[in-house]
Amino acid sequence: MSGLRLEGLVAGRGSFRLPPLDLTVAPGEVLALIGPNGVGKTTLLQTLAGLLPPLAGASVDTGAAAAYLPPPGAVSAGFSALHLTALGRARLRRWSPGLTPKDVDAARGALDRLEVGDLADRPFDRLSSGQQQLVLIARLFVQDAPVCLLDEPLALLDPAHAQAVEAAIRALAGEGRVVIASNHHLPFAARADRVLALGPDGMTVGVPAEALAPDRIRALFGVEVSGCPCCGQALS
Amino acid sequence: MNRLKAALLPAGLILLALVGALAVMATGPLAVAPEALLAAVIGTGSPEAELALALRGPRLLAALTCGAALAGAGAGFQILFRNPLAAPDLLGVSSGAGLGAALALLLGAGAALVQGAAFAGGLAAGGLALACAALTRSGDGRLALILCGVVAGALASAGLGLVVIVAEPYSQLPSITYWLLGSFTRATLPEAVGAVVPVALGAGVLIWLGFRLDILSLGDEQARSLGLPARPLRLLALAAAALMTSSAVAVAGVVGWIGLLAPHAARLIVGERAGRLIPASMALGALFALLIDRLATAFGPAEVPVGLLSAAIGAPAFLILFVTTSRRS
Repeated sequence: MSGLRLEGLVAGRGSFRLPPLDLTVAPGEVLALIGPNGVGKTTLLQTLAGLLPPLAGASVDTGAAAAYLPPPGAVSAGFSALHLTALGRARLRRWSPGLTPKDVDAARGALDRLEVGDLADRPFDRLSSGQQQLVLIARLFVQDAPVCLLDEPLALLDPAHAQAVEAAIRALAGEGRVVIASNHHLPFAARADRVLALGPDGMTVGVPAEALAPDRIRALFGVEVSGCPCCGQALS
Repeated sequence: MNRLKAALLPAGLILLALVGALAVMATGPLAVAPEALLAAVIGTGSPEAELALALRGPRLLAALTCGAALAGAGAGFQILFRNPLAAPDLLGVSSGAGLGAALALLLGAGAALVQGAAFAGGLAAGGLALACAALTRSGDGRLALILCGVVAGALASAGLGLVVIVAEPYSQLPSITYWLLGSFTRATLPEAVGAVVPVALGAGVLIWLGFRLDILSLGDEQARSLGLPARPLRLLALAAAALMTSSAVAVAGVVGWIGLLAPHAARLIVGERAGRLIPASMALGALFALLIDRLATAFGPAEVPVGLLSAAIGAPAFLILFVTTSRRS
């Protein structure tokens, strides 16, 4: 898988424009996207996903299309978790008569891998937010997109499910995908490979130790933090 | 095992509808054995069987086709809009067809022309709703479609009201009113067969869409991020459903409730997936149409309009269905 390279990409919607973004993300890298509410994280992710047209510039070297996962609770479906997961193969079956048993097997495999195989036949709407999120990440495995864009994947989740989802995100990247996940959960950002901080004055990309330093967090969110958001120790 | 069972359920419902059709055909004032009827279909039956086939065949075919069409279109709309209240006239199709038929009756047209005008009126109203919705720039087009359908339906209803006022009260008005209340009796065999073609085409499109409809039900954003061209596919589905509805209304007049009731009943049996829900809804819709058509003749020589019966039976049945499902979950 080829990674992601952006040159002068301007995301926006209507009169709302983000500053131009130059960014290279290697395959297998997890990039955390942080920034205050309303700053344009979702707009940026949706532009990268091809759901919004870029106002300028373009992504190069993305290869095939990117997969986009909306925040927990945004997807609702009355059919089974297994069927929803198998729908991830739609791109391959766009003009075929239907999904094949192979698609269903792939979906079952992905659910088993994230240890939610027992939920396969339950209606998706009856699952908890955490279970739904794991099913949707299983669908990302089935979808097989080289770039996965996750919008606040840990919102609404209890600590156990948040941990499971974070492990699943790592596994996604571990197979050579680019993963960009927006998040307000700073410990997640601290464990990411790099952090893209999106503020009202522009964006910066750096390793977590730099990007999450107390002065940066103060500038970004206007709050005081001391030390690493993950363990409380001083960031080196 | 689970997959096989899931595929057998819609097939079983379709079989049930066909058996029901045979039973309706075999019974009545002139009773004919089912095997004699089947022999008559291939042209080797007794004279009684051929008479029963010639008399009951067209209206039976019309009832089956219209019931299946309205239920299939209703299921399609309910899936696309993720709205349990979506019915085949969501895009104003039924009102448009009613206006077309009423205009043709006002101008003194013959039966075939009335049917053609109803068909054209239904498609025109549906097309108007789709065109208006295409003008909007709202992110997910579903709300725009519902609102534009309301607009198209209201315009057609206003036109219909005008036709009713203008119509000659002793000759034209009763025929317009009777047409609007719905009946399966007026279809001749060529007309009923003529409706089968567009209904089969629309149903074929909806069934082919299958899992794509499931994805469209998740919303445009999901559909596009899963790699489907959301807008063209949704337009295709809406056009197919509007075609089915127009054909049904053109043959039978305005028969409500089937398109709302049958998909809900089918959902209880086969679940939410479009690939199963649409055939199952069509089978149940055909069965329901058979039932009300049989009841229409059960109260003496004057037929009760099927539009009245479908509301009188469909509305309470819908309520019972709704109450039982909401208590179950």
